[in-house]
Amino acid sequence: MVEKLIDFLLKSQNTDGGWGAVPGKRSQTEATALAILGLNSVNDKVLAQPIEKGLHWLIEQQREDGSWPVTTQVTESSWSSALAIVALTVLGGQVPRLQRGAGWLLEQKGRTPGWRESVRYRWAPQTMVNFLNPDLQGWPWVPSSFSWVEPTAHALIALKKLRPYLDDNRARERIRQGELLLYDRMCDNGGWNYGNKRVLGEVIPPYPDTTAVTLIALQDRHTEPANQRSLQALVRMLEQTHSGLTLSWAIICSSLYSQESTVWRALLTESYGRTGFLDEAKSISLALLALIDERASVFRV
Amino acid sequence: MSMLNRRAFLTTSLTAYLASSVPGCPRPQNPEPPRWEHSAYRKPKQSRVAILEARDYERPLKETIHKGLDLFHLDVKGKTVVLKPNLVEYDPAGVINTHPSVIAATIDALHSRGASKIIVAEGPGHRRDNEYLLTASGLYDILKEYRVTYVDLDNDDARPVKVNSSFTGFPWFYFPETVLQAHLIISMPKLKTHHWAGATLAMKNFFGIIPSAIYGWPKNPLHWAGISNSIVDINSALPIPQFAIVDGIVGMEGNGPIQGQAKHCGILILGADLVAVDATASRLMTLEPQKIEYLAYAGQFLGNIRHSQIEQIGERVESYRKDFLVVPSFEHLKTPA
Repeated sequence: MVEKLIDFLLKSQNTDGGWGAVPGKRSQTEATALAILGLNSVNDKVLAQPIEKGLHWLIEQQREDGSWPVTTQVTESSWSSALAIVALTVLGGQVPRLQRGAGWLLEQKGRTPGWRESVRYRWAPQTMVNFLNPDLQGWPWVPSSFSWVEPTAHALIALKKLRPYLDDNRARERIRQGELLLYDRMCDNGGWNYGNKRVLGEVIPPYPDTTAVTLIALQDRHTEPANQRSLQALVRMLEQTHSGLTLSWAIICSSLYSQESTVWRALLTESYGRTGFLDEAKSISLALLALIDERASVFRV
Repeated sequence: MSMLNRRAFLTTSLTAYLASSVPGCPRPQNPEPPRWEHSAYRKPKQSRVAILEARDYERPLKETIHKGLDLFHLDVKGKTVVLKPNLVEYDPAGVINTHPSVIAATIDALHSRGASKIIVAEGPGHRRDNEYLLTASGLYDILKEYRVTYVDLDNDDARPVKVNSSFTGFPWFYFPETVLQAHLIISMPKLKTHHWAGATLAMKNFFGIIPSAIYGWPKNPLHWAGISNSIVDINSALPIPQFAIVDGIVGMEGNGPIQGQAKHCGILILGADLVAVDATASRLMTLEPQKIEYLAYAGQFLGNIRHSQIEQIGERVESYRKDFLVVPSFEHLKTPA
């Protein structure tokens, strides 16, 4: 299977060096960052050139403010900057670029809904439509919008990997706030979805892929009861979900939490045989990382 | 300033800030009188909406849909048609999504009518795991059986398209190339109530064509700009012909679009004027269309909501009307008994 995944990535690399979400689509920051991380984990000199081309594309796309757009067609800065930073961190030698990227990331804060929600949260939480602490600020998908779980998790992974270059109070405080937000948004029985745990009094269930990514972001707090509860929730969810994206994130997460994942690896192979992961570069790259990088060093902070 | 120009951003932000009471999902606003450019006006003098009986998903639906398309003389020969179902989420115990049988029957009917290419496309608003959504919902097997391509609109190539109305303040929306290059898009929603918009039908279903890679999961800038406002501006900006097939065989009442309860209605609703389709669907749910904010706006320039301007064909609304429960904040939408 590993050979097939590598072959897919080599064949689907765009002529500009990047990867699209699926073959034939324009190069995208998320797909490119994950593809070069996946190929890099193989540690084969034959792959040096495609990795170099991918890296070149990624470097070319960095904006003046330090951020990355979602694709070349979009002019706005985006959440996928965090993934680009992780890719550059792993591949090394890009400190000034990384510092610019981190600077942009530290500037980004989710929008808060205002004082009325703050008052309601403190004095009448039962009247809240979405039950969550409205004052916590993590990271949004789009600058100037609300904080959500997955962009916050990706930002935390990037900033935690950059700690050696970011030893200042601002970074520490943003990381702390981001962690608080993630714990606040955790679903009642552990795990995370996009970012709402209860809406109109109804409990919203967690998603396995988001849970795994969030646990990866919180790996340095692995002994917290919330992490352990969420890890159990992930195991329960994986009984129902056998997609490439979810299994790959879950395997990476299990490596970081020293958990057994042999069954999930077998399921990943089965799933690929069934759907080919819909030819999604993201899932294929993550599967490569999950199968090869047994220490999950790419996402280890 | 990114997707909003500065003035529009300030206006929208201030209004959203003041009106907001829900984190990440403010209540619809009451903006200034609606605005649209002359080129955005496309309200026909008269619209036609068909209500077709379809008791359940087990019986073949192809003939029903075929007949329905005949009623509109829908010509798809040699055309690329995008089917946009509702696949926002998946819950094995729920009725969130457009049923795969309805999608299969529509693919079959369009093939018979000579469509050159059929694409099923969706940009799920909550989940990023397309493989899970497709396999769990049963849609993957349908796509395989009919050899139809699926496009993840959240990650499709996209380009900005000017918005000719100004309910949100967005000067443009990024629309996916798959949609922009199609000859026809068929909105295939589930008949559902919605806890922020009152109802989610053919027009709201086009939230799913807005790419989440650019707007986020959920597509939060649309919420901040007001869900009703966004529904109207997205529909007004979409520059390709549209049609709607609403899966009302089993709908959802109460706390829709995700956590409501199943409600059997046994119908499909079809039409080329999506405003009129939604107005009719609302009447079927005993909701008054003129009280649903997005329909009140859209009824001014995009299509018809008045009963007198909608030619009802097929079954009568009165015969299939069901008392759909709504969340308390939308009780005022209900048709008085």
